[in-house]
Order: sequence, then C-alpha cells, then structure tokens
Amino acid sequence: MAEQNLLELDNISKFYGNIIALEGVSTVVNAGEVTCVLGDNGAGKSTFIKILAGVHQQSEGTIRLNGEEVSFGSPRDALSAGIATVYQDLAMVPLMSVWRNFFLGSEPTKSLGPIKWIDQGKAKKIAKEEMAKMGIDIRDTEQAVGTLSGGERQSVAIARAGYFGAKVLILDEPTSALGVKQSGVVLKRIVEARNQGLAVIFITHNPRHAYPVGNRFLILNRGKSMGSFAKDEITIDELTQLMAGGAELEALEHELAEATAD
Amino acid sequence: MNDSTAVTDAISKSGGGDERLAYRSIFQRMFIQPEIGAIIGVIGVWAFFWAVSLNFGTAGQTQNWLDTASTLGIMAVAVSMLMIGGEFDLSSGANTGAMGILFILLIKETGDLGGLGLSIWIAVPISFAVAMGIGYFNGWMVERTALPSFIVTLATFFILRGLKLGLAKLLTGQISVTFTNDASGYDFFRPIFAGVWQRNEHIWNSRDVFYLGGLILGAVLITLAVSEMHFVRRSTKSAAGLPIFGIGAAGLVAAIVVMHSTDGTGANILAAAILGVSVLVGLFGFASWRFEPVGSAGSLRLTSGITTYLGAGLAAVAAACVCSFVIDSDNAETLFFPFTVQGLRVVLMMIFAGAGFTLLMIAANRALRVNPTTKLVVSAITAAALVAFAFVIQASAEDPKFRTELFSALLFGALALTVWSILGLRFAERRKVDPAGDRLGIQALILGFGLIVFAIVIRHLFVTDDELLAEVNPAKFSVRMLWFFGFTAVMVWILARTRFGSWTFAVGGNKEAARQVGVPAARTKTQLFMIVSGAAWLVGMLLAFRLNSLQAGAGDGEEFEYIIAAVVGGTMLTGGYGTALGAAFGAAIMAMSLVGIQAARWNTDWRFVFLGVILLLAVIANRFIRDKAEAAGRR
Repeated sequence: MAEQNLLELDNISKFYGNIIALEGVSTVVNAGEVTCVLGDNGAGKSTFIKILAGVHQQSEGTIRLNGEEVSFGSPRDALSAGIATVYQDLAMVPLMSVWRNFFLGSEPTKSLGPIKWIDQGKAKKIAKEEMAKMGIDIRDTEQAVGTLSGGERQSVAIARAGYFGAKVLILDEPTSALGVKQSGVVLKRIVEARNQGLAVIFITHNPRHAYPVGNRFLILNRGKSMGSFAKDEITIDELTQLMAGGAELEALEHELAEATAD
Repeated sequence: MNDSTAVTDAISKSGGGDERLAYRSIFQRMFIQPEIGAIIGVIGVWAFFWAVSLNFGTAGQTQNWLDTASTLGIMAVAVSMLMIGGEFDLSSGANTGAMGILFILLIKETGDLGGLGLSIWIAVPISFAVAMGIGYFNGWMVERTALPSFIVTLATFFILRGLKLGLAKLLTGQISVTFTNDASGYDFFRPIFAGVWQRNEHIWNSRDVFYLGGLILGAVLITLAVSEMHFVRRSTKSAAGLPIFGIGAAGLVAAIVVMHSTDGTGANILAAAILGVSVLVGLFGFASWRFEPVGSAGSLRLTSGITTYLGAGLAAVAAACVCSFVIDSDNAETLFFPFTVQGLRVVLMMIFAGAGFTLLMIAANRALRVNPTTKLVVSAITAAALVAFAFVIQASAEDPKFRTELFSALLFGALALTVWSILGLRFAERRKVDPAGDRLGIQALILGFGLIVFAIVIRHLFVTDDELLAEVNPAKFSVRMLWFFGFTAVMVWILARTRFGSWTFAVGGNKEAARQVGVPAARTKTQLFMIVSGAAWLVGMLLAFRLNSLQAGAGDGEEFEYIIAAVVGGTMLTGGYGTALGAAFGAAIMAMSLVGIQAARWNTDWRFVFLGVILLLAVIANRFIRDKAEAAGRR
C-alpha cells in the first residue's frame, strides 16, 4: 500500500458464548477524517467501540495502528496508544468547574521541594484556549460543568481528549440526547476536531447527522457489516436504506421528505 | 478556523474577563461563597450569646468555647473532607477515645496492672501507625466489599467501642485508664499536645493602643478595599484628592489619640465625632483621587415598594425601642424556667431590631435600583434609625457592654452607611470586571482582616494591670487551638489547591467519571479515611495529655456531632460539594452554643433544642446559597 492508514480493522468478530455480537467487520480510519459507524439499536455499535476502547478484546480479526498489529488489554492501554473515547455519560463531574473537569486526573502542577500543587493559572488559561480552538468561547472556566448545556459539555469532553494527545477520538452517540440546535453545535465540534488532524470515529443511529460530516461510513446491522463506503460511493438515501435493512423504508422516506422540506 | 483565531485574540485582549458575563458586584460575589452561611452563623450566634449572657464575650469564655471547638473542629474538618469524597465514617468518634486509650496503655507502667511501660517517643509513632491502619482498613473494606461506608464503619465503631472497654477492663481492671508524669519523653510531648498560655501571666499595659489601632486600621483598609472593588477606577488618577485623603488620615490618627489619652464618656464622644468626620473626608478624598465621578445622580423617587419596606422597618425598630423601656429589667426575675426578664427583653429587642434593620436594608437595596439619590435618602433614614436605637440602648441598658460597646458599634454602622451612600451619589459604581482592581482590593482586604484578627488575638492573650486589679477571670489558652487552626489551614489548602483535593471532589461528585479519566478513585477514598483516622489520633493525643487519663467511653457517639458541624458548614450530605473552612466554622457554632447556654445560665438540656434549630436553619440557608451560586453560574 502506498499510503498507510492510521487505524485499520480487519475482519473483527466478537462472540459472547454462543452469541455472535459482531462478525467480520472491516474498515479504515485516517487522520483528518471522520469515519461514521451507523446502525440501529442492537446492531453491534457498542461492542464495536468497546473493542476499540480496550474494554473488551475481539474474538477474531486484527487491529492495526500505523500498520502495526495491536491489542488493548484495558482502557488505559487504548488511551496511551492515543485512542480516546467520549462516552454518552460524558465522564464529567457536574458540580466541579470547567477547568477542573478539563484537567481531572492529569492536572498540571507546580512544586516546591516535595510539596506539589495545581498550577491553576496555567490550567485555567489552557482550558479556555483549548475550548476556544474548538470554537467554544467558555464564559468562565470557574463555572460548574452542571450548568453548561449538553452540547457545551460534549465540547469540553472533545477538547479535553484532543488536548491530551488523542490521535483517534471515538464519540459514542454524542447527538442522541440533544436537541436540533445542540446537535448542530456538536457536529461543528466534530468538524473542528477533524480539521485539527484527529481521526474521528462517530457512532450514531442518525444518518442525517452522519452524512454531512463523514468521510467514510461503516454500516452495521444485526452484528454484521453491511459494508464500508467512502462518501463518493454512497448517497444519503442508500445509507438510510442499508442501515434499516430495507425494513422501515417507507416511514424513513416520509421522514426524509420532511427533512428536505426544512 | 478564522472564528477560533478571532476568539483566541479576544480572550488575550480582555485579560481574563468576558464581556458576556453579567457583572457581579463585590457584595454579590461575597454572598455566593459556600462558607458565607457558616460565617454569618458564627457572627450571629456569638452576638446572640454576647447579648443574653453576662460574660460570653470575655477572654475566659472565649477560651471555653474555643477549647470545645478545637477537638470538635479538627474532626469536623477531616469528616467534611471524607463527606465531600462521598463517604461517612461512623467510627470516627469512638476512634478518638480508642487512640487515647491505646496510647495510655502503651506508656502505662508495667508495675501496676497492665500497660507496656514504653517510652512516649515510641508510643507516639506506634499509636499513629495503628490509626493509619484503622483508616486503611475502613477504606479497604468499603472499596473491596462495595458496601455503603455507613455499614462498614458502623461495624468498626462497635469493634472499637468493645475493644476500648474490654481491653481497659482486662488490663487495668477499670473503665478509665490513667498514666503518670514519669514516662520518658513526657516533658517533651506535654507542651506539644497540652501546653497552655496563662493570660494573667502576660501583662502588656499598652495593649489597648494596638488593639484599637488594629481594629480601626483594619476596618479602614477593608473599607478602602471594598471601594476599590466597587467603583469604576480612573484611568489617570486625580492628585487633587490626595491632600483631602491626607487630612482624613490625620484626623483618624487624632481620633485614636484622643480616644486613648482620655478617659470618660465626654471625651469619647469627641473622639467619635472626629473619627466620623475624618472617615467621611478621608474616604471622599480617596474616592476623588482614584474613582470616576458619576454623571448624574437622578432625583428622589420613592416607589410604593420602598415606602412599604421603609415603613415596616421603622415600625419594627420603634417596637424594639419600646421593648427596651417597657419591660422592667431592674429586678431580673425569673420569668419562666429557662428565661429571665432580662433575657426576654434582650431576645425581643434583638428580634424586632433584626427584622427592622433587615427591612430597611431591603428598602435601601430597592432604592439603589431607582437611583443614587433615592438610595442616599433611604440610607440616611436607616442611619438615623440606627443612631436613635443606639441612644435608646444607652439610656435603658445597665450593662457597660451595651452602654459603650454596642452603642459604638451601632454608631459606627450608621456612619458607614451614610458615607457609603454619599460616595455612591458622587462616584460611578462598577458595571464590568476589572481584574487589576480586584487583585489590589483582595490584597488590602486580606491585610485588613489580618489586622483585625491580630487586634482580637492580642486582646485575648494579654492583660493590663487595670484588668488584674479588677480581678478578671483567669483564661488558659490551650495549644490545641493552634492544632485546630493549623490543621484547618492545611486541609483547606489541600482541598482547594492540590490534585488530591480535586480528586476528592471528583470521587464524591461522580466516581465513575473520575475513574474513566484516570483518577485513582479507590486510593483517594482510602486516603480520605486515613485522614479522618489521623485526625482522630491527634484528638486522642490532645485528650490523653490534658488530664493524663481517659474514660473508656470517650468520644463514643460524637461522630454525629462531627457530621452536623460539617453540614452546618455547608458540606453536602450526598458528597461532591462543601468546604473544610465551613466545617471549622460549623464546629465553632456548635461549641459556642454549648458554652453560651451555660454562660447564659440556662438549663443545659436546652442545648439540644438550640442545636436542632441551628441545624435546620443552616441547611436551609446553605441550600439557598447553593441555588444562588448555581443560578449565578448559569447566567
């Protein structure tokens, strides 16, 4: 191969006892691109991220990072390899301030002999700057995260992952609990992260969210891969059709007709 | 990408401030501090007992309640940290006694029954190691079994309680253990854990010069600091104000000299007059030197809301004045069981006056929203009410503390109110953040509070010859107070400034989230249990060295008092929110009410009613403050 992919998944399968959760899934993820993983409930999306995030190990198949075969024994392994996961529950402490949440677990410190303390000035400044890079101008980094809107919280989590050296960012259904406007905010953040050179894996069940931002689409249905397509190989209608497996096509067409009318 | 660079530029230009944040004035910012409820509580409870008892404000009584507050406070601070981390430790009370008894058994001579006869040099580290072990055990059990800490530490509580009784009886045949002064190392450790400062042995005749100077300078600095943070600062200073400021400062010095060099009420009124005028002149000079003048102050406009509050407030103050004359306190007979006529009169007056001045403050606050002129008029009426009330108190009260101290405080309050409103008329109040002004202001504020604390401390630590002649009660300040202050300071710093502090809030607020981003949740919680156990060891040492003996039941059941003190101080029961400083103030409130009820000569059974009321009020107030703080964050 002339150019090397950042992350390659080859024929990944996962069995829980006799249950086949995921079978023969392959795709590639590149820096500065968004790979969308689409599927309805129970399609195997959760299993897919858990393998990438190091929570579970695949039963079959190989994962290659920069061309080298890797295996993640724990979430910490995946994190140190540069794969950061932003879960739906966001991993935020609502009563703590934005800057404390941003640096939680990796606070910058100053020290005098054996005594160490947090470099608050630096932490606040960096938190504010990193949020600004994502296009979010946080009003006050002392503000409690619980007082932010859902979209802003996602932005803090994304900015944090980027700042701490993630090369691959996995977003688990970031838009599912949000309203239309907030979803738009998060989609914008995804594009920002991509423009900064991160490889983004965007998991969603909403093709209308996926299509505008994605470069590549992996479609899962009932644990099986329905194929992995580059954007120029597929239209939004085909995407929707594949995802639903043709079942609820009419209802979806109706929905899409409304969507185009907007 | 253009957007984001523009935003970064905007941030670097604004110097940390953000124009979309609604501006919060210095008073609003002060009000949403989590400790504010406990601080107001400390002042309120102190003032209450100062007013209703004969001697609550004296050094002897201060020593009494600080002594109780110290051991209670060390534990409350540690327990509040554990509660912020989302856990409870029901064994903490029994642990204090257990550590003291263990220590005594270690050093007790082998000659009589029981005891190992070790040197104190060895017994101190051994007992500390055991304390760390108990804390580690609690933490390890809670983490390993994933049971609620309530259950695990309840078990530890019973084990410790049984061990204390069982071992004490088995080894010494008694339920209290005692040691003698001849253990090796006693002379070294006794001053560390139980040293005392005998107030009557430290004579300093010019103490009151420094006391008064410290109080007044501190108050002036605080006033200047608050102005610096409240008004719009000039870009170029106007030197014309400086000479006026100088005149004011000179007048202030003159007032202090007059106040000190003469004795008797006539001279004091002269000094007070000089003080008042020079504060007004000096502050005005200071303001015209540094602050931007306002364009127009507007004209008087009283809305119906203002007049309602004004009328109700004045009526309540009048009722307070009437109370003070109508109820005859000369005989101070017992009215009914816990209360004397004197006490009832004071309580009624406090309730009416408190309600009245609160209503007047609300009126002033509403007037502020209209325009500065209206504010000045309402404030002037309030100040006049304060002055009238002060003179009524001076005329009707027998006790010199009301006749002079309260009288001066009320007059000073009236002065401050008037000066402040006049400044508001002439100078523009700040509407947007000014970090440089805030920095300067906060430094002056800290210095001012430091001076006031210094003044209060020297007044408590030293006597004058006059006081010795008047045979003031001896006060003995124990070194345990220094342990309390030091421990609180270290823990406040750890919570606010270190990674461990941040992790404590995180594991209490959302343990799973903390773990996901790499916070060692189990280790953090275990260390918190160890801090509580270490605090229990410290308190055990303080108890053991005070009397050289301990009852087997020492400390049992006190764990709930620690939790109450922490909650009164603003710590949330569900974890993730609270402050160590608040817990220390909470402990002070509880200690004051225990000692104050005795000082007021009420039956001590009433303390439970008092504690219950305080707990309820504190929880409601803290909830209110937290809601305010969150609403402020959301804006």
